[in-house]
Amino acid sequence: MSNDILFLAEFSAGKPARSAIELATGAADLAAQSGGSAVALAYGSGAASGGAALGAHGAARAVVLGDEDRPAITYAPAAVAAARDAGLAVLAPATPNGRDLAAALVGSLDLPAFGPVRAARVVDGVLESEQATLQGSVITTARPADGAPTPSVVLVLANTFTPAEGGSGTAEVAQAPDAGESALSRATVAESHEADAKVVNLEEATVIVAGGRGVGGEEGFAPLRELAEALGGAVGASRAAADAGWIPYQLQIGQTGKVVKPSLYVGAGISGAIQHRVGMQTAEHVIAINRDPDAPIGEFADLFVVGDLFEIVPALTEEIRRRKATSGG
Amino acid sequence: MTYLPTAEHDELRAVVRELADEKIAPRAAEIDEKAEFPEDLRQLLAQQDLLGTCFEEQHGGTALDTLAQTILVEEIARADATTSLIPIVQKLGALPIILAGSDEQKDRYFPRLASGEWLIAFGLTEAAAGSDVASNRMRAVRDGDEYVLNGSKRFITHGSVANVLTVFAITDAEAGGRKGMSAFIVEADTPGFAAPRVEHKMGIRGSPTAELTFDDVRVPSTNRLGEEGDGFKIAMETLDRSRLGIAAQAVGIAQGAIDAAVAYAADRQQFGQRVADFQGIQWMLADMASQNEAARQLTYAAAARVDADAPDLPYWTSSAKLVAGDTAMRVTTDAVQVLGGYGYITEYPVERMMRDAKITQLYEGTQQIQRLIVARQLLQRAGVAKRGS
Amino acid sequence: MKIVVCIKQVPATGADKRYTADLRLDRTGVEAIINPLDEYAIEQALRLADAGTADSVTYLCMGPDQASEALRRALAMGGDDAVLITDAALAGADEWTTAKVLAAALDKLAPDVALMGMASDDARGSLVPGAVAAMRDVPLLSYGSELALADGEARVRRLSATGFDWIAAPLPVVATVTDQVGEPRYASLKGIMAAKRKPLETWSLGDLELSADDLHGAALTTVTDTRAPEEKPPTERIENVPAPEAAAKIADWLEQRKLI
Repeated sequence: MSNDILFLAEFSAGKPARSAIELATGAADLAAQSGGSAVALAYGSGAASGGAALGAHGAARAVVLGDEDRPAITYAPAAVAAARDAGLAVLAPATPNGRDLAAALVGSLDLPAFGPVRAARVVDGVLESEQATLQGSVITTARPADGAPTPSVVLVLANTFTPAEGGSGTAEVAQAPDAGESALSRATVAESHEADAKVVNLEEATVIVAGGRGVGGEEGFAPLRELAEALGGAVGASRAAADAGWIPYQLQIGQTGKVVKPSLYVGAGISGAIQHRVGMQTAEHVIAINRDPDAPIGEFADLFVVGDLFEIVPALTEEIRRRKATSGG
Repeated sequence: MTYLPTAEHDELRAVVRELADEKIAPRAAEIDEKAEFPEDLRQLLAQQDLLGTCFEEQHGGTALDTLAQTILVEEIARADATTSLIPIVQKLGALPIILAGSDEQKDRYFPRLASGEWLIAFGLTEAAAGSDVASNRMRAVRDGDEYVLNGSKRFITHGSVANVLTVFAITDAEAGGRKGMSAFIVEADTPGFAAPRVEHKMGIRGSPTAELTFDDVRVPSTNRLGEEGDGFKIAMETLDRSRLGIAAQAVGIAQGAIDAAVAYAADRQQFGQRVADFQGIQWMLADMASQNEAARQLTYAAAARVDADAPDLPYWTSSAKLVAGDTAMRVTTDAVQVLGGYGYITEYPVERMMRDAKITQLYEGTQQIQRLIVARQLLQRAGVAKRGS
Repeated sequence: MKIVVCIKQVPATGADKRYTADLRLDRTGVEAIINPLDEYAIEQALRLADAGTADSVTYLCMGPDQASEALRRALAMGGDDAVLITDAALAGADEWTTAKVLAAALDKLAPDVALMGMASDDARGSLVPGAVAAMRDVPLLSYGSELALADGEARVRRLSATGFDWIAAPLPVVATVTDQVGEPRYASLKGIMAAKRKPLETWSLGDLELSADDLHGAALTTVTDTRAPEEKPPTERIENVPAPEAAAKIADWLEQRKLI
C-alpha cells in the first residue's frame, strides 16, 4: 500500500471542472502530509490532455480513465481498477457524478466512505476528516475503523481546498489499463435535450444572483439579471421560484438542485430554508436582500440588507455600473 | 362510559393535522376573503376518504366511530372553519337517511356520498320559522306515486353546492309541524328546485348558506324517508346527533386561536421581553387552554353517548355544543386581545377565527335552544318535565 | 415488473437531536419520519403501479424496531408489502454497512428496480444507492426527475448542466429520483386502514446469511469526536436606509472584499 492521495478529476468540453483543480490542490496538500503523491483519476472529454492543468495544482500523476463525454458512472470499472489497493484515500467531488463514482468504489472494493467533508488531514498515517451533520449544528471528526481496507473514499465539498495560482509542474499522464465492462458501465445516454432557454452552468459560476419567492414572478427576475450582468455573474433561483415556473430547473440551487460555490452569492427575496442553504453554503461571500428582517437567511448571510429588492437591486446595479465606469474599468 | 382516544384516534389526528397544516391552513385566509366555496379542498378531502367516515364500508365509507369523526372535524376546523363544514354537513345531510332511510335508499345514495363525489345538504330551516321548527310552512302534496313540493328554505348550508338534499315539508297541515311533517330526499337537478341566493356572512364565509325555492318540485314517493308524519322526529333525532359536529368545530376553531396566540406571544417582543413573559398574558393563555380542554373532553364524552345511542344523548350533545360554542367565542376574542392590534387585522388569522366562532353559537340550534334542551332533560330526570315538551 | 423502494427513517427536521455517549445519533424519544426525499421515490413507484407498469411495490427499510412505523406510513400511501431489517448488530451502521445489508436483502427480493431517494436528511453522502448497485453488479441510474420502464429497460430523465438527458440501462437496475418526480401523495384514510393488514416481515442479519463479522462490526468508519461548529462572524446588517444609500453601502462592502 502506498501513501498516495488519489482524486477524481472530471473534465468536460476539453477543460477540467473547478472541482478537479480544487481536489488537485487538496490531494497535493494531503499527500505532502502522508509522504505520498497526488494522483488524478481523470475522466471526461479533455482528460487525456489535462496533465498540465492538474500538474500546475500539485498532481504528480494522472491516470486517464477515458476521454469521452459519457455518463460518469460508466467510468466506474476503470476507476475501480485504478483505486484497488492504491493509496490512502480517494477524494471525490460532492457532485452527482462524483458521488456516483465514489459509491461505485465503495461498493466494488468494500471501502470506508466519508463525507461530504469540509476539512481533511493526515494524522498518524490515517486520513481524518470533518463533516457537518444535523443541519450544520454538529461537526463530527471521523476516520477509518481499525483494520478497514484502504483507500478511504472521501466526498469533498466545494471550496474546501482553495487553489493557489497555478505552478509550473506537469502531471505525468498515463492511460488506465483496460478494465473491461461491468453492469455499471452499461448506462447510456438515450436522448439529450437542451433546455428551452439558454442556461449557464451554475456550478462553475463565480458570482450568482439568486431569486426566490419574493421575486414574485418571471418578470421579477429582470432586475436580478441586470445585477448579475453588472457583476459578471449568473442568475439562479430557489426551489420555490423554479416550482412556480419562473425559471428553469437547471438554475435551481439547493439540496435537490445545483450545489454552487461562487465567491459571491447574492440572494434576493430568498428566505433561506435549510434545503436552499445546503446548495449555497460553500459560497465565500453571501449577501441577502429581504423585506422580512427575521428571514432565516439573515442568520447565515455575511451582509443582510433589509428592504424591498425591487428598489435595492436596481439601485445596486446602477451604483456598480457607475463605480466601474469611473474606475475606468 | 369510557371515551378515551385510542392509538388509532391519535394516529387519525396526526394524519389529519398534517394535511390540514399543509393544505388547508394556507388556503383559509383566501377562502375567507373571496367567500368562495373551497372546491379544491372538497376534492382533497374526498380523495383522502375523509368525507365518508359516517358511512358503512359496504357503501364505500370507513365507518369511524363518533369520537374519530369528532377529532377529524376538530383538526380541520383548527385550520379552517369553512372547510370543516364539508364533513360536518355531509353527515348532517345524510343523518336523516342513516336514521330513517330504507336499505334501497341507502344503497342508492350512500356510495356517491361516501366517496365525496356528491355533496348533501340538510333542508329544514325556513325564514319565518327559524328555531321554531314546528312552525314550518313548506308543503308536500301527494300526487299518485309522487309528492309535489312548494315553498322555500333559508340558511341552508351548502344548499347551492349540494347534489342532493334531505328536505322537510308539511304533508298534513291539520296535524301541524310536529305531527304533519315528512322528510324527503330531493336531487338538486329536479325541475323546480333552485338556490337563487346565498347570504353575505360575518364568518364561515367560504361556506355557501343558501336560500332554496321549491316550485312544483316532483319527488317520487320512494324518496320519502320513513312514514308520512315522521319528519319532525327525524329532524330532531338528526340534530341531537349532528350538533356534536358543531361542538367539535368550535373546539377546533378555539384550538387554532390558542395555537396562534401562543406562537405570537412567544415570538413578539414588548418592553424588552417576550409577550409570553407577562403574567397577565400567561393567565389569559392558561384560561383559554383549560376552558377549551374542558369543552373538548365534554364533546368526547358526548361522542361516546352518541355511539351508545344513550337515551339521554340530547343532554350530552346540547351541553357539549353549548359549552364548546361559548368557549370558542370567548377564546377567540381573547386571542385577538393577546395579539393586540395585530389581532384585529387580516394579516393574522385570529380575527377570522373570532368571526367564524360566532356561528357556533347560532346554527344547529342557538345557545338558547341548547339550554332549553338541557333543562328539559334535567327536569325529565327529576320527573318534573312539563307535559308535551 | 417488481419495484422495491428502499426507505430510511430519520429524525423530523427541527426535532431536538443529539449524540449518545458513544457518538452515535441518539434516536430515542425523537419524532421520526420517512426521510422526506424517500417519499419521492415512493411516489414514483406508486405512479408506475397506478399506470400498470409496476405489478408490485415492496418497501425495504433497515433500522430499529420503530422503523416499522415508517414502513406502515409508506404502506398507507400505497404498495403491497414491506420488509424491515433490524438487528442489534446494526447499531451505528455506516454507508458501506447499510449498502451491504440492503444489497443482500435485494438479492433475496430480486426486484427489477430498486428505487431510492437521492439523499437522506441525516447523512448527506448519497453513496448507498451506487454502492448497492456495485455490490449487486447492476446498473445505476441516478438523480432522475422521472423514471420510465419499458422493454426490459429503465430510463431516468436527468438534468444536465444546460438541459436534460434520458439515461438508459437494461433491467434490473438501482435508480434514484429527485423531488421533481411530483408531490408525494398523502395517505388516504382507507390507505391507512388497509396498511394495517398489509404484510410486514422482519428480517435479522441471520435471515440474510450475514454476520457482524461480514460487516466489520457495524462500520468501516468511526466517529472520533463531535463538537459545535465555529462561531460565524456576526451578520452585518443594513436596515432602514433609502435604497440608493443601501446600494452605496453594499458597493463599499463589495469593494472592501475586492469583489468588484
